[in-house]
Amino acid sequence: MGCLTDVEVQTIVDGEATDQSREHAATCLRCQQRIDERRDAIREIASAVNAIGDVPAELETRVHRAVTSAPSVRGSTVLRRTPRPSSWRRASWMSAAATAAVVALFVFYVLPRFGAPTRLSAAQVLERSLQTLANTTGVESLDYELTIDGAAGGPFRIRHLIDRANPNHYRVASYGADGQLRTAVSQDPVHHQRTHAIQVDGRNYFVRIDGIHQPVLSLPQMAQALVESVIGMMQATADPTLTMQDSPQGREYVVETPQVKPSGAAATLDLYHARAVISAEDFRIHEFEGTGALLKQPFSVSFRLIEQRVIAASAADFSLEPGPNDVVLNGVAGDGPLEELLTTVVREMERTGGR
Amino acid sequence: MKSPDCGIPSAGAVADPPAEALRLFNEHGGAIYRFCRSMLRDESEAEDVVQETFLKLLQHLKADSVRSNIRSWLFTVAANACRDRMRWRMRWLPWSEEEDQRTVPPNEDDEDRRRARATLRQLAPRDRMLLSLRANGLSYREIAVATGIREQSVGRLLARAVDRWKRAVDRRLV
Repeated sequence: MGCLTDVEVQTIVDGEATDQSREHAATCLRCQQRIDERRDAIREIASAVNAIGDVPAELETRVHRAVTSAPSVRGSTVLRRTPRPSSWRRASWMSAAATAAVVALFVFYVLPRFGAPTRLSAAQVLERSLQTLANTTGVESLDYELTIDGAAGGPFRIRHLIDRANPNHYRVASYGADGQLRTAVSQDPVHHQRTHAIQVDGRNYFVRIDGIHQPVLSLPQMAQALVESVIGMMQATADPTLTMQDSPQGREYVVETPQVKPSGAAATLDLYHARAVISAEDFRIHEFEGTGALLKQPFSVSFRLIEQRVIAASAADFSLEPGPNDVVLNGVAGDGPLEELLTTVVREMERTGGR
Repeated sequence: MKSPDCGIPSAGAVADPPAEALRLFNEHGGAIYRFCRSMLRDESEAEDVVQETFLKLLQHLKADSVRSNIRSWLFTVAANACRDRMRWRMRWLPWSEEEDQRTVPPNEDDEDRRRARATLRQLAPRDRMLLSLRANGLSYREIAVATGIREQSVGRLLARAVDRWKRAVDRRLV
């Protein structure tokens, strides 16, 4: 047998050689020298890899937490589907609608400011999200389609107008599939005014509140609060998947969290499943769908962005003006929008003798 | 080359899968972490992959799957996850040398080791993966499973990877 090839030398170093190679190496000084050189190289490489060090303490804690709190699933890839809520009461719908509005703000207003993600690390991306609100000026107009599982009259068209220089200045309106206004709220912190609009039995009711106090939380601020909750959840969630797809809108990224089974003890906000379709061109969210529970109230919502643009503050109309046949009630400022509405309605009922 | 025995039954139910997963993390977590670091060259991504790998292990243990060589299985799962991330990263951003340099610990004292690591990072992903798996003591068969390369080709590809690494080290010395 002639001298060993490089591959045969390698197999000897790796303990995978044939008897014939080993026998030759035992008698050939030149090959023995080549084996020693290669062994040194492998040793050096192994030393370089092992010099990386041991598992950091944070990772150890993280894995311990993840393993001990992992949802109960069976099989390496089998994830159970979340059972849908059996029925939706009106209160559920209201809760879902409020959640939907907040989640939509998060999706279309907060996420696009992340910029291009450079890693698939949820923590890194989300950390930046907390600094994204109110960093720029101008008025943003968002137009999207909202579908709430179980809600009659949908899908809804939602129009948001948000003054990024002043998150307390906004207007949010929802329209049914028939194009009719369903609900709206507008807030003007300069004039201390807030106006609610709601359609009941085909008639529009407007509630005007003057002298409002500084709101506890505006919608964009609620979105920011939601981001903080989502950060906590995503950090505790493993295996978000990322795939690419080509659509008529161009190349898109699809980020999806695995479906998880709702736990018995629901947190303030639980996300059972979420899927976002993001433009590969400008990283805007084109679509979002999510199921979960807010304050133990299940929700299932999906959004599809129709239009997003920044408009001049002078061209933005935040007002809500009643028509000639609409009912206008004047309310009194309270601690929050819901309290104001209830107080106004109860007083009006008392004034009209419950008619 | 023999892989260490993982010490758990090859089939059947594990009484306490989370405890078993944590035991295996204590045993193999360091090697998997070092492998992921050398593959991804990014600490936080490597940590993500390690966590994913051991969560998949937990599911694997719960699923009564075959568990004849857990160490090899762990490297296979980690290698697949690293490959997915590298593929994804190449679509998003080309790897930048500047960014790469930041992953070198500033207090690395041994000059030869520092050079060896820096050279390793320069290699193509497949070479890096083969050498990292080899450095972690995997057999040719295990490397073949983890990388999707034919077992008969592992020796040849490893030999070439070592040659490329040596040439790159020599260039750095010049």
